[in-house]
Amino acid sequence: MRKVTILFVLLLFAGVQVAFAQRTVTGTVTRADDGSPLPGVTVLVQGTTIGQLTDAEGRYTIQVPNNQAVLNFSFIGFTPQSVTVGSQSAINIRMDEALLQMDEVVVTALGIKRESKKLGYSVSTIDTEEMLTNKAVNMMESLEGKVSGLNITPPAAGAGASTQIRLRGQVAFAGANNSPLLVINGLPMDQGANSADGYGASRDLGDNMNSLNPDDIESMTVLKGATAAAIYGSRAANGAIIITTKSGAKNQGIGVEYSSSLTLQEVLDYFEFQDVYGLGVNGQKPISAADATSNGQFGWGAKYDGSLVPAFNGDLIPYEFQPNRLKQYFNTGSVFANTLAFSGGNEHGSFRASFARTDTKGIEPTNEYKRNIANLGVTYDITEKVNFSVNVNYTNESYINPPQIGTQGEGSMNFLTRVSQSIPLDIIEKSAINPATGTEWPVAGWTTINNPYYAHQVGQSYIRNRDILLGTATLRYDITDWLYAQGRFNYDYSLSFTESKVPGGIGTSQPMHTDGTWKGAYNVSENMGTNINSDFLIGANRDFGRLSVDASFGGNTFRIKNHNFYVNSSHFTVRDLYSIANGVDKSQGFGFSQSRVNSLYGMAELGWNSTFFLNFTGREDWFSVLNPNSNSKFYSSVSGSVLFSEFLEDLDWLDYGKLRGSWAQVGSANGVNTYEGYLKYGINADQFNGQTLASISGSGAPNPNLQPFTVTEKEIGLELRMFSNRLHIDLAAFDKVTTDQILNVMLSTASGYSTSKKNLGSLKNQGIELMVQFTPVETNNFRWTSSVNHSFLKTEVLSVGVDPDGTPIDDMLVIAFNTTGMEFLGELHYTVGMPMNMLYTRTYLRNDDGDILLRDNGRLLASNDYIPVGSSLPKHTGGWNNTFSYKNLTLGVFFDYKFGGTVLSATLLNATRQGLSMLSLEGRREGEAGLTFPGVYQSTGEPNTSVVTDLQGFYGDYRNLQIGDPFTFKSDFVKLRNISLSYDLTSLMRGSSFLGFIKGLTLTGSVRNVYTLYKDIPNLDPEALQSSGDMRAGYENSALPTTRNYMFSINAKF
Amino acid sequence: MKKIKQVIFIFAALLLIGGCDKDFVEVNTDPFAINEIEPGLLFAGAQRTYLGGWEGEHTIVQQFVNPFNDGATLFVNFNENVDNFQNGCWGSYSGSIKNFVHILHLLEGTTDKVNLQSMTRIWKAQAMMIMVDTYSNVPYFNVGLAAIMGEEYFYPSYDNDEAIYEDLYNEITEALDNLNPSGDFVADDLFFGANAYYPSNDAATQVAKWKKLGNSVLLRLGMRYSKLDPTKAKSIVAEAFDGGVMTSNEDNAFVVYDGTKYTNGSNNGLVNNQPKFYYAAEPFVDHLKNTNDPRSKYMIAMFDDPGDPLGTAVPGVDLEDQFGVPVGVVRTALPDSPYRGVKEQGYDYSQMNVNVMASLLAPSFYLTYAQTSLLLAEAAHRGWIPGGETAAQQYYEDAIRADMDVMALYISETGSSYAPISGAEQDAYIAQANVAYNAANALDLINTQYWVVCLRNGAEAWSNFRRSGYPALNRNEWDDQLLEYGGDGFVHRYTYPDAELSNNKSNYQAAVAALEGGRDDLRNRVFWDVELLP
Repeated sequence: MRKVTILFVLLLFAGVQVAFAQRTVTGTVTRADDGSPLPGVTVLVQGTTIGQLTDAEGRYTIQVPNNQAVLNFSFIGFTPQSVTVGSQSAINIRMDEALLQMDEVVVTALGIKRESKKLGYSVSTIDTEEMLTNKAVNMMESLEGKVSGLNITPPAAGAGASTQIRLRGQVAFAGANNSPLLVINGLPMDQGANSADGYGASRDLGDNMNSLNPDDIESMTVLKGATAAAIYGSRAANGAIIITTKSGAKNQGIGVEYSSSLTLQEVLDYFEFQDVYGLGVNGQKPISAADATSNGQFGWGAKYDGSLVPAFNGDLIPYEFQPNRLKQYFNTGSVFANTLAFSGGNEHGSFRASFARTDTKGIEPTNEYKRNIANLGVTYDITEKVNFSVNVNYTNESYINPPQIGTQGEGSMNFLTRVSQSIPLDIIEKSAINPATGTEWPVAGWTTINNPYYAHQVGQSYIRNRDILLGTATLRYDITDWLYAQGRFNYDYSLSFTESKVPGGIGTSQPMHTDGTWKGAYNVSENMGTNINSDFLIGANRDFGRLSVDASFGGNTFRIKNHNFYVNSSHFTVRDLYSIANGVDKSQGFGFSQSRVNSLYGMAELGWNSTFFLNFTGREDWFSVLNPNSNSKFYSSVSGSVLFSEFLEDLDWLDYGKLRGSWAQVGSANGVNTYEGYLKYGINADQFNGQTLASISGSGAPNPNLQPFTVTEKEIGLELRMFSNRLHIDLAAFDKVTTDQILNVMLSTASGYSTSKKNLGSLKNQGIELMVQFTPVETNNFRWTSSVNHSFLKTEVLSVGVDPDGTPIDDMLVIAFNTTGMEFLGELHYTVGMPMNMLYTRTYLRNDDGDILLRDNGRLLASNDYIPVGSSLPKHTGGWNNTFSYKNLTLGVFFDYKFGGTVLSATLLNATRQGLSMLSLEGRREGEAGLTFPGVYQSTGEPNTSVVTDLQGFYGDYRNLQIGDPFTFKSDFVKLRNISLSYDLTSLMRGSSFLGFIKGLTLTGSVRNVYTLYKDIPNLDPEALQSSGDMRAGYENSALPTTRNYMFSINAKF
Repeated sequence: MKKIKQVIFIFAALLLIGGCDKDFVEVNTDPFAINEIEPGLLFAGAQRTYLGGWEGEHTIVQQFVNPFNDGATLFVNFNENVDNFQNGCWGSYSGSIKNFVHILHLLEGTTDKVNLQSMTRIWKAQAMMIMVDTYSNVPYFNVGLAAIMGEEYFYPSYDNDEAIYEDLYNEITEALDNLNPSGDFVADDLFFGANAYYPSNDAATQVAKWKKLGNSVLLRLGMRYSKLDPTKAKSIVAEAFDGGVMTSNEDNAFVVYDGTKYTNGSNNGLVNNQPKFYYAAEPFVDHLKNTNDPRSKYMIAMFDDPGDPLGTAVPGVDLEDQFGVPVGVVRTALPDSPYRGVKEQGYDYSQMNVNVMASLLAPSFYLTYAQTSLLLAEAAHRGWIPGGETAAQQYYEDAIRADMDVMALYISETGSSYAPISGAEQDAYIAQANVAYNAANALDLINTQYWVVCLRNGAEAWSNFRRSGYPALNRNEWDDQLLEYGGDGFVHRYTYPDAELSNNKSNYQAAVAALEGGRDDLRNRVFWDVELLP
C-alpha cells in the first residue's frame, strides 16, 4: 500500500511539468444549427497538453505557444474541427452535429481497432459510463439484460459472488468452461468462477471480474460470435469480452477524479408461509421442550391460539405465527465504494493512476467482502514512432464468511425456511448454544437443519484472501504510416490463502469423538497461479486505389502454472482451539499443474470502394496437453459485409445499411487436463512388512488421442441507421454447432480401467438477436433515447455419445439431485433432440386421459419414469433501456426480462412436506376435515372420494415419491430492474468563482431491482438460484433472498 | 530505436524457428508425480491375488454358511444368482492383472529383469487361471491394455477358456525356462524377496523358490485336465514334477499381516461387520468331527455371543461341542426345532474362529506345499508320476503333516494361545481308519483333505471340488433352481458382472452366446469341468 502511494506521488510530479504558455486566444463555440452555445467542448493545442473545456456559455480561453499552433475542437456527437491560430486572438467556432456515426471505431479481437462498417460479424460495445449509474461490485451484474446475446445471471450467493456469463447459449456440456474469454488489456483469461456447487457446505468465492474496478474501465466490447473471436482460436469457443483499462489521455493536463458510492441492500422477502398451524405434528401443540425440538421442522401442529407452549430451549412462548423472521435475520447489506484517480498527459504520453476501495457487508450477518484495487496505466511515445504502454492492476480482496447456500445442513436459508414459523428468532439466537454441552442446541429434529446463530456465536469462520496482479507491457513501433509491429507481455499472478474454522458442535450434541478428542476442524490452504501471455503482431494497412488492404500476422505463447498446498487438522486435543498443532488428525496435500499453448495467426481484410469488405482469419494452436504426435489444430473464419446504402443514396431516410455474413470455426481444449495423456503411479502410504507397494494410479485410462472440441458458427446480420441516425437497428441470426465434446465413457473393467474420456457429444445453439435504438424525442433541452434488445435462443442436444458397440445413446444423466445426499428432487439430463439442460422429475401418475391416478386410500402415486419438464435455459431474454435527459438531468429507466426457462424448487418442496407452505394448507383449511385429492383410483378408474386425514403423510409423499409437479415453475420474469437519476452539476460549478476548480461533478441516485412486474414462481425470486455453474442449472435450493439496492454516488473531476 | 525493432523481430523469429511445441512433453509431465516406477514395486503391489471369499466359494463347497437371505446377503446359500458377490474375482482385472500386464509392458524388450518378468508371467497365469475357473470364457489376450494400447483395448473380447489354458501353459513353461539363478534378484517379491517371511538374499535362492512355485502352478494346471484329457494331464503333471515342485512349508506362497497397516480383509466381515450372520457349515463341521481333526480348533469355535465373537474370552473349541448350520436353511427356521435355536444376537452354532484362521491377522496362502503334495498323491495314485501307491501315501501324509505344521504359523501370527499340533497328534490323526491312506478310496481321501487344506483359499477349494467330485457333498436343497437345464444342483461357475452388459455389450453377448444354451448362469461349466457332481 505504501509503495502504491509513493508511486502516485512520483507520477504527480512527473505530470506537473507540462505546458509553457505564451499567448492567449479566446472564443466561443456554438452549435451550427441554432447558434446556441456549446459547453464542455474540448479545446486542445495540437501536440501539447494544453487544453480547456468551454464553459456554460461556450466560451474558452487558452494559452498558445506560437502562431503555428493548431487548436483542435472536439465534442461527442459533433464533427471535430481544427484551426491554425495564426495571428488571431479570437477564434469562434460553429460545430456541426455529426449525424452519421458510420465511422464508429470498435475494439476487436487482439485489441485491434476497426471501423465497425468493415466488420462481418456482430459486436456490442458497452456504454461504460452508463454502467456506472448502475454500479455493482461485480460489473457483469450491471450488464444483465443490456446486450443482446449476452445472458447474465447473478446468483444469490452473497457479497462478491460470481455471475453466470453466457454468450449465445451454453456452448458445451457442464464441466467445460462455458463463460466467455475475458481479455483484459490483451491478457486472455477464464472467468474463473468459484461457484457454489451444492455439494456439501457450498460457498461462492467470486470470479476474476471482481479484480477489476468498474471506474477503471475504458472500454468493453462483447465479441458474441465465433467469428468475432475466431482469432483467439482454441479459447474462443464461448466468444470473448475485450476489456481495456484507462491510461489517461494525451494533452489534458493533470486531473483528479473522485467517485464515491454507497449502496444499501434491502432484503426482498417474497415468502408466504401458512400462518394457521404452528409447530407440531398430528394437530397437537408441543407438550415439552423435547417435543418442540423433535417436531421443530413441522407445521402440522394445532391452530395458532396464542397460548403458552414450551419451546426447544424450555422457554414458554406464545403459540403464534412469526411473520418477519427473514427480514429480522438478514441485515441491510451495504457497499461503500470509493475511487480516487489521477491522470495527466503531455504531448508524449499520458498516465492514469487510481486507487479504489470497496467495503461490502452482505445481508448474511458476518458476511463481508473487501477489495482494494490499484490501477496504473501509462502510455508514452519514446520516439515519434515508438510507443510504450504499461497497465498494472493490483487487487487485494477478502471474502469473509461467504454464506453457505444451496444445500442441506449449514446455511441460514435452509434453516429459516425449514423450521416451523412459530419459533421466534430471538430465542433461536439466545439459545443457540446448549449450555450443558456447548454444542448446538437443536431447534429441529433433523441434524441437517442447523441454527446459523450457533456457528456465528462459537466463531465459525471462513476467510479467503486473494492477491491478484495483472500486468501488461506493450511496445508498438510504427515502421511506416502503413506498417506497424507490436510486442506485448502479460503477466497474471494470483495468490489466495484460505482459512477455515469449523466448530465441532454443529448438528450434534456430542462434542467429542469416540477417541476422546474434540470435534471440530481447522483447515488452511494456499493456491498460487501464474498466467503469462506474450505475443507479437505485425500489421499493415494500405490503400491501392479503391482497394484497401489491412493484414496482420502474429504469434503468441500462453503459459499457465498453478500449485496449491493444504493442511487440514481435526480431532482437537484442546476444545475450540483453531490451530494446526491442536489436531491429532492431520492431512496435507500438494498439487501442481502447468500447460502451454503456442499460436501463430494471421488475418486479412480486403475492402473495395469502402463498400465491400472481406475478412479472413486463421490461427494454428499448439497444445502441451495434447498428444505430441498431433498437438496442433487450425482454426479459421471468413466474413464479409456490404454497405448497401452506398447504392441507395436516393433513399434520404436511410443513413447507413449493412449486410454481413460469416462462418467460423473455433474450439476449446477445456476438458483436456494437464497430465491427462499418460499414466501416473501411486505408492501405498504404508509399507507392507517393510516392502513398498506401488500400483497404477486411478481407474481412468488416459486417452492420448483427445482433441479440443470444436464450435462451428454461421452468422448473418443486418444493420440499419435511419432518419438522421435516430433509429438504429441491428439484427443478427446465428447457428452454432459444438462437436466432439469431451465426455467420460465407461469401459469394460477387463480393460483394466473403468472410465476414459472421448470426443463424443455435440449440441446446437441457434438464435436471433435484435437491437433497436431510437430517439423518440429530441429538442434543445430534452432528449429521450430508448433501446430495446431481444435475444431468442433455441438449443438442441445432438449427441451424447455412443454405446461401446457404436449404438448412439439418446440420453445422458448429468446429475440426479436427490442422490447427492444434500438435495431433494429432480434430475438434469442432456437428451438428444431436446433442448439443453433438460430438467426431469417424477410426476403424478396419470392415465391416458390425463387424470391423476391415486391409491385406494386416496394417496399419491408417482410416475415410473422421470419425465422431462422443461429446460433451465430461457428462450427469450432482453431489456428495454430508456434515457431521458433534460438539461443536466438524466433519468434512466431499465426493464429486463427472461422467458422460457424452468426451475425446480426444493425450498417449496420442503416447505410443503413439512407443513409450512400455503400448499400444505389444502385439506386443513377452515371447514376442511381432510384432503380429497382430485383424481381417479388406479384400481377402478372411478373418481377419488377418499378423504386423507394424514396430511403430513400425504404431503410427505411428494418427497418420498419424488413427485415434482407442484414444485416445477417457469423461471420467467419481467423486472423494472433499474431506475437512475443523475444530475450533472458541472456547468453550475463552472459558473461559481469559488467552486470553479471543479471541472466536473455528477450526482447519481439509483435503485436496482425496483419491482418485479411478473414472475411465475411464488415465494421466491426466479433468479435466486444458487450457482453460476452449469451443474445446478434450474435447481433452486436455499439461495439467499434477492435484495433491492439503493445507490447514491458522486463523481467529481478536478 | 533499432534495438526495439530487433527485439520484436527476434521475438517473432524465436517463436517461429524455436518450434511451436518445443518442450511440450516436458511441460506436460508432472514433476511432482510418480511418472516412472520400478516395476518390482508394482509387482509387490499386485502380488496378493484373488483367493475367493467366505460367502461365495467357501459357501459353495459347504464350509461356510450365511443363513440370512434378507436382501444384500442373499447368494449361493440360497442358490441365487446375485451380481455383486460374483464380481470380486473380476475385480482382479483392474487390480492385479492390470499391473501385471503393465509390468510386462515396461519390461518388454529388456533383458536385465528376466526373473521379475518370469515371476510376473507365472503369477499372472495363476491369477488368470482362477479367472477362467470362475467364469469359463473370459477376456484374456487383450486385457489390461487400455492405458497402453489405447481405444481398441477399451472393450476386450472374450477368449475361449480352453485356448486361454493353452496359453497359460505356454506362459508358465516359458517363464520357468527363463528364470535365471544368476539373473536379477527381485527384492520386492512379497513371497520370497528381501522382506518375505522366509526371505531370500540373492537371485539363486529366490529363483529356486520360484521354480518350485511355477512348477506347482503348472501341476495345478495339469491336474485340471484330469477328467477332460487324462493323457494331457499326465504329460503336464509329469513335466511339473520333473521340473521340481514345492517340497516344504518354506516354499509356500503366502504373506503375513502386521495387523495395523495391513490386515487380512477377507475376514473383516466375520470379525467386525455383523459376525452374527456367519457360521460354519454342517458338512464341514461334521467332517472335522468325524475325523477328530486337530486343526479344528484353529478353524471353528463356539462363541458366547455370535454377534460379538471377539468378546468371548474362552471360545469353545471341543470338537464334540461343534455344530454347523445345515446348508440351505434360512435363519428364520433356525430358532425352532430341529435346529439349535437362538443364542444372544445370533444362533447356537459354530463360527469360524476369529482368533486364528478368521482373524484379521491370519496369513493369506496362495499356493502351498500341502496342496501340491496332495496333487502329487493323486498323480502318483493315477500313475502319472513315479512311485505308485507307496509314493501316493507318502505325499498324502506329508501334505497332512505340512498343513498341520502351518497351524504353528497361524498361532504365532495371530497371537493365539492354542498349542501347535504335535507329531503325536499328527500320527494319531493319520492313523484313523477314515483318514489313513487307502488305495481303493484314494481319490476321496486325497481330495477331501484338499478341501480341508483349502479352507482359506475358496477359489481353489471350489475348483478342485468341481474337478475331482470330492468331497462327496449333497446338493443344497433350498430350491431346485440349480437342477434346471440339466444342472446337478451345484454352482459350477459365476456369471459375468452385469456391468459388462452395459459397458462391453457386443463382446458380452458373444461370450454368452458361446456358453451352453446361451445362458450366463451358475450351472454352465468350465471346459475342464466335464462330469456332473454326484
